Amino acid sequence: MKNSSISKFDIKLLIAVIIVVSFGILTIYSAGFDPIDKLNTGMYKRQIMWFVIGFIMMIGVSIVDYKFIGEFAPYIYAINLFILILTTFFAPVIRGSRAWIDFGLFSIQPSEFMKLSTVILLAKYIEFRERDLHNFRELFIPAIIILFPVLFIILQSDFGTAMIFVPILFAMLFIGGADISHIVSILSIAFITFVIPLTLLYAEDLGRVSVISDFFNKGMDVFIVAGFFLFVATLFYLLHVFFIKKMFRYIYMPSFVFSLGLIFAPIVKRLLQGYQKNRILAFLKPDQYPHDLGYNVIQSKIAIGSGGLIGKGLLKGTQTQLGFLPETTSDFIFSVISEEWGFIGVFILLMVLFFIIFRSMKTALDSADKFGSLLATGITCVYFFHILINVGITVGLIPVTGIPLVFVSYGGSNMMMSMIGLGLLMSIQTKKSGF
Amino acid sequence: MSFTSITAKLNEEFRKRVFVFIGIIFISFMVLIIQVFRLQVVYGEEYKLKAKINMEDYVPIISSRGEMYDRNFSLTSENNHVIASNRPSFNLTLIRAKFEDDSELEKCLFNLSRIIDINYTEVFNDIKSKNKWEHCIIKEDVPFEKIVNIASHQHLYPHIKWEDVPVRVYNYSEMFSHVVGYIGSINKDEYNEYKNKGYKYYHKLGKYGLEKQYDALLRGVDGNVRRIVDVKNRTEGEEIGKEPVAGNNLVLTIDYNIQKAAYEALQDYVGTVIVMRADTGEIISLASNPGFNPNVIIAKNNDQVFQELQNDKNKPFLNRAIQTRYPPASTFKLVTAIAALEEGKWNPNTLNYCPGYYILKGFVDTVKQCYKGTAHGVINMYQAIGESCNVYFYNVGYKIGPTPIMKYAEYFGLNEKTGIDLPGEVTGFVPSQKWKRRIFGQSWYDGDTVNLAIGQGFISVTPVEMASFVSGIANNGVIYKPYLIKEIRSQDNMQIIQEQKREKIKEIPLSGMTLNTVKTGMRMSVTSGTSVRLNYLKVPIAGKTGSAQTRSSRKDESTQHAWFVGFAPYSDIINEKYVVAVLIERGVAGAATAVPVAEKMFYTMQSMGYFDDEKQQHQ
Repeated sequence: MKNSSISKFDIKLLIAVIIVVSFGILTIYSAGFDPIDKLNTGMYKRQIMWFVIGFIMMIGVSIVDYKFIGEFAPYIYAINLFILILTTFFAPVIRGSRAWIDFGLFSIQPSEFMKLSTVILLAKYIEFRERDLHNFRELFIPAIIILFPVLFIILQSDFGTAMIFVPILFAMLFIGGADISHIVSILSIAFITFVIPLTLLYAEDLGRVSVISDFFNKGMDVFIVAGFFLFVATLFYLLHVFFIKKMFRYIYMPSFVFSLGLIFAPIVKRLLQGYQKNRILAFLKPDQYPHDLGYNVIQSKIAIGSGGLIGKGLLKGTQTQLGFLPETTSDFIFSVISEEWGFIGVFILLMVLFFIIFRSMKTALDSADKFGSLLATGITCVYFFHILINVGITVGLIPVTGIPLVFVSYGGSNMMMSMIGLGLLMSIQTKKSGF
Repeated sequence: MSFTSITAKLNEEFRKRVFVFIGIIFISFMVLIIQVFRLQVVYGEEYKLKAKINMEDYVPIISSRGEMYDRNFSLTSENNHVIASNRPSFNLTLIRAKFEDDSELEKCLFNLSRIIDINYTEVFNDIKSKNKWEHCIIKEDVPFEKIVNIASHQHLYPHIKWEDVPVRVYNYSEMFSHVVGYIGSINKDEYNEYKNKGYKYYHKLGKYGLEKQYDALLRGVDGNVRRIVDVKNRTEGEEIGKEPVAGNNLVLTIDYNIQKAAYEALQDYVGTVIVMRADTGEIISLASNPGFNPNVIIAKNNDQVFQELQNDKNKPFLNRAIQTRYPPASTFKLVTAIAALEEGKWNPNTLNYCPGYYILKGFVDTVKQCYKGTAHGVINMYQAIGESCNVYFYNVGYKIGPTPIMKYAEYFGLNEKTGIDLPGEVTGFVPSQKWKRRIFGQSWYDGDTVNLAIGQGFISVTPVEMASFVSGIANNGVIYKPYLIKEIRSQDNMQIIQEQKREKIKEIPLSGMTLNTVKTGMRMSVTSGTSVRLNYLKVPIAGKTGSAQTRSSRKDESTQHAWFVGFAPYSDIINEKYVVAVLIERGVAGAATAVPVAEKMFYTMQSMGYFDDEKQQHQ
């Protein structure tokens, strides 16, 4: 029995992870080297240590039955959230945020572990309400589950970490069986709420003030129109309730989406004025902010682009070695790899990362039970959205926020979280015969 | 619906959605790979260039500015007169990041303060306020012995470096001030104007005189040191990127000895002296007094001195030889004489009676006094030039009218720039009937004509134009462009790169009779007329004096400007003639003030052997 379960464990996934982690350690070594003082910061050694600790944790977790862990999901979530809240209010400020608990030799970032705790609880909840998930009201509890971590992590001034919970939630709800029209509606509201203000801010910055701008900026017109759509939505919703005609859905849902979008859009637009506005404009036109808001992404793109097809070689990346690229061991480690290994290296890295995601997702398909599937999906989402957002930022497709590249970036908490996730995946893989 | 069928349905839906999600993941990865491909492969070269710009820093090596010598420069001589040169000077510098800590830096500065004049706390605070990796100047222009001291006691002054920053030196200060000029830091307007010509904000630029005129020749081409720098401007390594090319040396046409004589002769006056070789246009001397000390102008923290000079009522920055217009007065009688003779309206032997005054017939008769107010009696044109008789020329002017006089004044270029190679030259002014009507709304009166005939009234000229005009007489109608640069030589090996050639700018056809009359009149001025003081010199001189009254306050004697223009030798055989033009502001009269200055010039030139050829011819 035990032999057969070990044979189910995905050795290829583990090898892929070891390859990526090695890539990361090598890159941290390179980024930590100072070509002028000929010294290395030695961070790579700590990363090796973190990996070893993570590996031990992975094995420990993989032995434990994930269903057993699932039983404790609310407690794990509650304890982690409690520590997170304590950190938010009592931790010292390190690099601009109160995200770390300092143990002297090392520090721990509870928000990293919160990602896993939240995913475990979401998986448990979705499994529990699986049959009713197509009801819109069932989506409120998952929303509240992520709301607390998001809120306190934003209070820690760690916007990037907070934001990663949102796509994870949507992806898990999607896989878990939520009504697609609900997901599409929420995404549509979000789309209208953010895309209209951004487009207008951009246009206004270019000096193109149009009738549409005036409509959103001045007076109550926009709210009157929103009110009209809300009225239509309510009307058809009541008709739908009384006559139970499915076609009314096609009227009241878009109307509702549209009205909420129109209500939020001007509010968001006003909130975005000022500092956030400059951040957004810096993302859209980084070249206009070369020394402050646009600096990181400009230097990152130069690092990546100048790597060319074959790269400059280990320790030879000028952007990295001469300090033009910021955050070389964490947020912009992908740029370092691109600069020193070139497109060939990056292509291999992304392929291996895709393989990791693919094998994790396959674990979800092969899982013996729904909780295992959903947990595997959640862990996959944690990995995937880190990769997507981190790489998206470095190549200039997503506005700059601080997000590590899983398995690659320097950082103990992120490494441990990722390895524990891997342990959970292994537990799911090995326990499926027990069902 | 059974429980299992619902489960089966949910499972089927679950599998479907997982595949959709994997599809989304796949597309996301494709997007990332495409974007990386775009950056690295499609635009790779562009970003490689940007990375290169990031890490490369070119530190300029400023080229050595060319020196200036007087015309007697000789490769073999030990005693060349160096008019402008460069003095080595050292700036003490440091980079704060090189020090272990602040206390080491403070100690080092304290040690320095004991051998050079610095306030070490002030310097320390100044350095602290700057970027750690910035190259800070502790003190400028530190003497060489101090540098040697610092270099040999590195343990006392760790990490202290020095850079060689040559300082321009003008060895004869005021004497050459208006000719040589000075250099200065490039200002904003100049930078915008010249940046396309390779000027950088840290360059020095000629601001005045030859320094300005020949800046492009003097400055050379900067070299650079290529440094690989990191984001904090720390250096990984450096190498010579481009060797600097030194600027060219200039050998002037000016003779130090003659310039010195001119400068000394002018000491008690406000005025100018020009000595020019008539048959080439070479300027042998060009002095204007008061002058300024260019070494003071280029020194640091000199704003107050500069302001004082600028506000001085005698305007020391004005090069009176080329930048000021004066009424030519009696020297202009030469133009009137040439016009009358060339137009065939006057015979040089025509006798006129000068009673000492002239009555201009009109609605109300105007009485004009002759020069000195004494009667010249019955005289011809030669005598009228020699003795500078106003009455005679009133008659000439009245007879021929204003037009020929204006025409010849323009022929000789008295209303245009001579083209001398100095910046800021102004033109003289020759009036016309049309001009008077436009400005004053009046027609040209006979009174204007007779005033014009003796160089008074509306007409005004610059001294260099006058010198150019006289060279035209000396050369029988040919005028060469005045110039100040004899040779351009390379700074490295002093070889001649270019030798300046004379440039004929005017050739006025004048009859022998005209030339003979004017020259004889000028000669008589020296032998028996107003310039008789020059007669004792061995070299035969021809000249003409003038006493200009300014229009604004003609009653005030002290506003008379004294002129002398002339040339030597007075000879038909020798072509190598030298023109001397003197103008003294507020001089008493040409004969009294300008002629003694001219005398010093001719005397010095004679003793320096300028007229030796002439002597040989007579032997």
